[in-house]
Amino acid sequence: MSIFEYNGSALVAMVGKNCFVIASDRRLGVQLQTIATDFQRISKIHDRLFLGLSGLATDAQTLYQRLVFRHKLYQLREERDMKPETFANLVSAILYEKRFGPYFCQPVIAGLGDEDKPFICTMDSIGAKELAKDFVVAGTASESLYGACESMFKENMEPEELFETVSQALLASVDGDCLSGWGGHVYVVTPTEVKERILKGRMD
Amino acid sequence: MTKQQANWSPYDNNGGSCVAIAGADYCVIAADTRMSTGYNILTREYSKICKLADKCVMASSGFQADVRALQKQLAARHLIYQHQHNKQMSCPAMAQLLSNTLYYKRFFPYYSFNVLGGLDNEGKGCVLTYDAVGSYEKVGYSSQGSGSTLIMPFLDNQLKSPSPLLLPAQDAVTPLVEAEAIDLVKTVFASASERDIYTGDKLELVIINAAGIRREYMELRKD
Repeated sequence: MSIFEYNGSALVAMVGKNCFVIASDRRLGVQLQTIATDFQRISKIHDRLFLGLSGLATDAQTLYQRLVFRHKLYQLREERDMKPETFANLVSAILYEKRFGPYFCQPVIAGLGDEDKPFICTMDSIGAKELAKDFVVAGTASESLYGACESMFKENMEPEELFETVSQALLASVDGDCLSGWGGHVYVVTPTEVKERILKGRMD
Repeated sequence: MTKQQANWSPYDNNGGSCVAIAGADYCVIAADTRMSTGYNILTREYSKICKLADKCVMASSGFQADVRALQKQLAARHLIYQHQHNKQMSCPAMAQLLSNTLYYKRFFPYYSFNVLGGLDNEGKGCVLTYDAVGSYEKVGYSSQGSGSTLIMPFLDNQLKSPSPLLLPAQDAVTPLVEAEAIDLVKTVFASASERDIYTGDKLELVIINAAGIRREYMELRKD
C-alpha cells in the first residue's frame, strides 16, 4: 500500500457564481482499520481562505501548523489577510523545500480573491500547482471524484445548487473507495457567509 | 549478484472503457473505439464490442489479443451449441459459458475485463459484469476498463441498483427508458474522455431490444 493511501482521504473544491464549495470525507484510518469518523481535513486560514489536506494525516497536521504560523506572521507584518493566490504560492514553496524528503500530502486550496472572485487550486506533494477554473480533487478517491465532478459540473451555479452538486459527487465517489467515506464535511463560502454542513452517507 | 528478474510480460493493456445498462425491455452496451499501448495510440477505430449470439453482446477492455482469443473461443463453442441444440444460446447460458471459459485459464488468465449485455429469456434487459478470471454477477448496469473508476460512481448516483442481498429479491433493471439510457451513456463517455487519457476518439453503442440490434456512433475527444 502506498504511503498516500495509509490514512485514506477524499477532497474536492468547486467554483460557482461568486462562491465556492470545499468538501471532504470524514474517515481517518490506519490502512484498513477505521480510527475516527469525524476527522477534519479542511481548515480555515482566514474567513475567505480554506485549506484541505489529503494524504498522510501526520504530515497534513504538521503542514497545517507550519502554514498557520507563516500566515499569522504575514498578518502581523502586512496587517491584512493573505490573498488565495499568494497563499497557494506559499504552500508550493514550503512543499518544494522538502523536495527530496517530501510531505506526503496533496493540498486543495480554495478562497475568494479580489472582487470576490473564487480561486481554487491543488498541487502534488512537491508543490506543482494546478489551477483550475471548474473543480479540483485530491485523495484516494480522486479518480472517482474526477468522473463524478466532470459529469455533474455546470458553470455559474448558485451556492445552493453548488452545494447539492458537490455533495452528490462526493458521496457517490467515496462509496466506491474503501479508504474514504463515513460522511462528508461541506463548506459553502460566499462573500457574506460561510456555511458548514455535515453529510450523512454510507457509514462503511 | 542479485537474481535476474523477468522483464518480458506476456500481457499488455490496450486501454479503453466499456459500459452497459439494462432496461425493462432493452439493453445498451457501449465502448470507446480507441486502442492504445503505453502512451501511444495504435488506432482510433477499433471495436471492443462483439456479438456472441442473437440477443447477447459482449464488450471487453484490457489486452485485446486475449479479448480476440476469448471471442474466438466463445464463437466456436456457440456454434457447437447451435449444432447440438438447434437454437441460439440465451444470454444467461452465454453468461455461464463465459465464466467457465475464463476460469478454465485461472492460472494464465485472459487479461480481459468483460461486460455482457442482452435480453434474457423473457425479453428483459440483462447486464452481467466479470473480472478477468470469471467471477460474475447480474447487475442493472456496469462499467469496466480504464475509465471505470471515473464512470462507476456517476452511474451509481444516477441508477442506484438495489442490493442483490435484499429480500424479497428486487429487480436489477433500471427505471430509465431507452432514450434516457442512451443519453446517460453518451454523457458518461464524454466526461470520461475529458479525464482519462485512454478513453476517447469514438463511442460505439449497441442497443438490443425486441426489434433487434442496432448500432450508433458518437464522436469523442481525440486528444
